[in-house]
Amino acid sequence: MTEASMIGLLVATVSFGALLYLAALGELISEKAGVLNLGVEGMMAMGAVSAFMAAHQTGNPWIGLAAGIAGGALTGFLHGWFTVVLGAEQVVSGLSLTILGLGFSAYMGKNVVGRPPGAVLKPVDWGPLTDIPWAGPVLFGQAPFVYLAVLAGIATWFVLSRTRIGLALRAAGDSASTADAAGHSVVGLRLGAVVTGGGLAGASGAYLTLSLTPQWTQGITAGRGWIAVALVIFGAWRPGRAAVGALLFGGLLALKTRLQTFGVDFSPILLSMLPYVLTITVLIAISIRARNRPSPAPAALGTAYRREER
Amino acid sequence: MRRPVLVRRDRPVRGGQPLAFAVGLILALAVGAILLMTAGHEPLRVYQRMFEKSLGDPTAWSLTLNRAVPLGLAGLAVAVAGSMGLWNIGAEGQILAGAMGAAWVARIGGAWPGPMLLTGMLAGAIVGGGLLALVPAVARARVGVNEIITTLMLNEIALRLLQWLIHGPWKDPESFNFPLTPMLPDQGRLPTLFGRAHVGVLIAGAVILVFGVAASRTAWGYELRVAGSSANTARYAGISLKRKILTVLLLSGGVAGLAGGIELAGTADRITEGISNGFGYAGIIVAALALLRPSGVAAVALLFGAVQVGGQSIQIIGVPASVSTILQAFILFGAIGAGVFVRYSVRLVTTGVDASASGDGDDGEATA
Repeated sequence: MTEASMIGLLVATVSFGALLYLAALGELISEKAGVLNLGVEGMMAMGAVSAFMAAHQTGNPWIGLAAGIAGGALTGFLHGWFTVVLGAEQVVSGLSLTILGLGFSAYMGKNVVGRPPGAVLKPVDWGPLTDIPWAGPVLFGQAPFVYLAVLAGIATWFVLSRTRIGLALRAAGDSASTADAAGHSVVGLRLGAVVTGGGLAGASGAYLTLSLTPQWTQGITAGRGWIAVALVIFGAWRPGRAAVGALLFGGLLALKTRLQTFGVDFSPILLSMLPYVLTITVLIAISIRARNRPSPAPAALGTAYRREER
Repeated sequence: MRRPVLVRRDRPVRGGQPLAFAVGLILALAVGAILLMTAGHEPLRVYQRMFEKSLGDPTAWSLTLNRAVPLGLAGLAVAVAGSMGLWNIGAEGQILAGAMGAAWVARIGGAWPGPMLLTGMLAGAIVGGGLLALVPAVARARVGVNEIITTLMLNEIALRLLQWLIHGPWKDPESFNFPLTPMLPDQGRLPTLFGRAHVGVLIAGAVILVFGVAASRTAWGYELRVAGSSANTARYAGISLKRKILTVLLLSGGVAGLAGGIELAGTADRITEGISNGFGYAGIIVAALALLRPSGVAAVALLFGAVQVGGQSIQIIGVPASVSTILQAFILFGAIGAGVFVRYSVRLVTTGVDASASGDGDDGEATA
């Protein structure tokens, strides 16, 4: 194992971690408001194709990023409309959103499959910082998405735990009738959270097609949306812990393609099971501990709220 | 200021669900038509071809029936768990596990006579699907772990297990390095009924019928519904919730697993990565549209089978198969939207100064 390959692994760990973290933050915000969204995979795919096509048309990667966020947010809005406003079953709507997003993105992007990207988001230029050994390439040689993910993580933590609107949002997710009685619009809060979550999933998708891959192919998300859902649980619904989980799962994704170069004789396919196995383990551990102390999950997660049926 | 609110009807509109379903179908076709037109296709011609190739003649019907088998069994699996208020999101993985279970039996029993091998394979499929549901079932029954996430995660785990098998230990040595298993022996394939339709259609129909009768006409089905609607009532009536959760989730996994076994022995003949093709996730939509009723599951599965078979047939005239995926999702979203008005009516209420007064009035109506 050379130093260069070790650095390569760390660089990939951080970039995959940021990819997962962006989508996971979106899911976290949505779940904190009480809405389980199993449509992450579909929202990511819509973000990925929207970003790629916009960048392809305009040649401007930033317009691509904006289109990716908008594509994810619009897709998320559909879930919000059906579950929050109409009170549809969150599990069913979310899974349909995944099916719809994967199908719709394939349809939208059918003419740009395999095409070279119109524009890519290049790594941020941090000047001399990039030349620091190890830390330079790993921390300062990354695409803008990595820093966007860090900012989004800090902002999510701050808004959720330090602001009034964050408190209202958590109330909507823990006890919607309490939030309602306190004069907050549960529908507005939840819809806002789902749309924001969609935007973050869209940004994660844009990261794929504007920087990581950068190309569009059908099914480019490759199940990473499910890892994002897992991360929220793994991180016990906390932005900080989810960041640690994102680096861990990102490291596993990075390691997957490098096992052979490191001379490790283990199937990369079996290694990629690990995030899901770990998440199930964590979920069971949380539930066993929850006998003595409150569960970290939002209490009203997955339930629709109607004032008339309070 | 007056604004619209949803008020619960005293009872749902009669025949409302089929109506909502029809609205969903029409909405999906309309959205599909717009999509097709923007891509320069003639919607009517595309829809006509989809119809002819899925329901136009006996061969078309046989393909649709075959496709309805995994959709119907996956839908039934979700419905069985759903009737008790449990969400089995793991049908996709359980189908894969079922296919793996059946393939494993075929590997050790390649020389067995047909009936014995086929019975063994289908039993292996049920056990495989059940095994994948074991961890979520035990975790839910013993420590109350949410089964939505555990079953979902196991989909990804089962997919990777299958990928590992077909890339490694189970790979066909004569496959020129393609990741797939060897073909099943001839006697390990389900006999055909007509056209391409295989015996699996009858098996699936029988299983759905049995569950339909069990759910609506037996004490077991009644207890299930009681346990699903109120855990306290169930406990008071002496129903063991833990045992019910365990058996229902294992049964649900077994039914989905059977779908995988039938798909392998009836249609696919060998395991490839795409053997399930999203049947498990589509099954959740099927179950939701059928309001978790077995009879409805059969009908919706047939329709979805037709949409999927039709969707494949239009690829030849240059329309992407993703159109059928989009149609399926929009049928559901349209039906959900319309379904709301089966149970609720829209009323304009005055808000503003006397908002609290009118709000109280609504409460009274809603609970009346």
